[in-house]
Amino acid sequence: MTIHGLWVISKAGGLVFSRSYSDVLPPQPVNTILTLAGILHGIHAITAKLDPAPIPGTPTGGLESFEAEGWGGKVFLTPTGTKFVVLHSLPQSGLEELMRRIYEIYSDAVMKNPFHTPEMPINSALFDTKLQTLMSSMNA
Amino acid sequence: MSQSIGYSTTPPTSSSRFSLPSVSSLTSSGSTSTNNNASLYSNSQNPSTSTINNSNRRESARSSIIQQGSSSLQQQLFGSSVQSQGGSNQQNQQQYTSILDRPLNKSKSSEISLSCWAFLFAEIVSYSQSRVDSVTDLERRLSTLGYEVGQRILSLVLLRNTQASNLKDPKREHRLIPILQFIHTQIYKYVFGKPADGLEKSSEADDEYMLILNESPLTQFISVPKDMSDLSCESFTAGLVEGVLDGLDVPARVTAHWVGDQYPDQPQRTVILIKLDQKVMDREEALR
Repeated sequence: MTIHGLWVISKAGGLVFSRSYSDVLPPQPVNTILTLAGILHGIHAITAKLDPAPIPGTPTGGLESFEAEGWGGKVFLTPTGTKFVVLHSLPQSGLEELMRRIYEIYSDAVMKNPFHTPEMPINSALFDTKLQTLMSSMNA
Repeated sequence: MSQSIGYSTTPPTSSSRFSLPSVSSLTSSGSTSTNNNASLYSNSQNPSTSTINNSNRRESARSSIIQQGSSSLQQQLFGSSVQSQGGSNQQNQQQYTSILDRPLNKSKSSEISLSCWAFLFAEIVSYSQSRVDSVTDLERRLSTLGYEVGQRILSLVLLRNTQASNLKDPKREHRLIPILQFIHTQIYKYVFGKPADGLEKSSEADDEYMLILNESPLTQFISVPKDMSDLSCESFTAGLVEGVLDGLDVPARVTAHWVGDQYPDQPQRTVILIKLDQKVMDREEALR
């Protein structure tokens, strides 16, 4: 029951935010995380096309979660194309609710901040603080 | 009837104009001069039908304008206590859609969502930011905008207060401390939904007062980047307070200062510093 980390991937597939909230997963250099986020973005785009019988007019979702040995990831796609990826321990409950909370914090602290440029790395102290509080309560 | 149409736009006939020089010869007695005046408006003596029609149409148009204008203005100023007489006017009242046509005294259901405001304010800040060179200029721009808001809010709050007391006791503060308390409670409550968290007098200077808000709804989502750390978007509020103070004839220089770094519990604590004009201090001394 631990949240290991959070990535925010922009519409274009660039990593705009990444934080680690536990020391279970080995820390990776920033470039590795950038590459991984790019790969995940590509996989997400491919999986979105894999629907055997797509319903016309409805957007396809794509990759929603993945699992590895002892840990997993949950992908949340916003209507504007921004992706939140939460890395977590297995099993993990309450992920849907967590995703909604993260989205809420993102809309408040990032999108309403006049000093943020869309599609650019997130440098909001408020976003960081609020996430830290949320993750601490989850990991407690 | 013939007197009222004397103000019609048709020029005086030539005969009346040439009768003017006779005035000088006739001014010796008052009665003759009045006679002469009557002859000046010669068209009143033999009015043409077109002039009558003209003035009547204008008269009716003007009266209808006054009727409409006065009823809507009265509704705005004095609310539903003054009922409009015409049925058509009541229909108009129900069809109000524009914010300008809404009655000024209705405060319920006229609140807007905080998100809406936050997005608007974020856009205001980034718009202003793209047109200035320095942090000081940006603060000045925001302050100017706030000033305009403050002037309007003061009128509105005073009007609503007067209406709430049923027009019997119109009240406007004139002493310094009641004015500051008025801003602290009523203006802040109107703008932010809650009174300010503190009103303090500076211990260093007599003419400095501080309004404190722990978390301003206006700027709670904004995190200022490190290279502009001395910027406070609360300059907007400072301008607002300055506008209100100016409206109450208390000229002051109002600035906003972020002091969250000194208060770990309230990282967004902001102080609105009011530096009063010497004129105000002199007046307070005289009124004492």
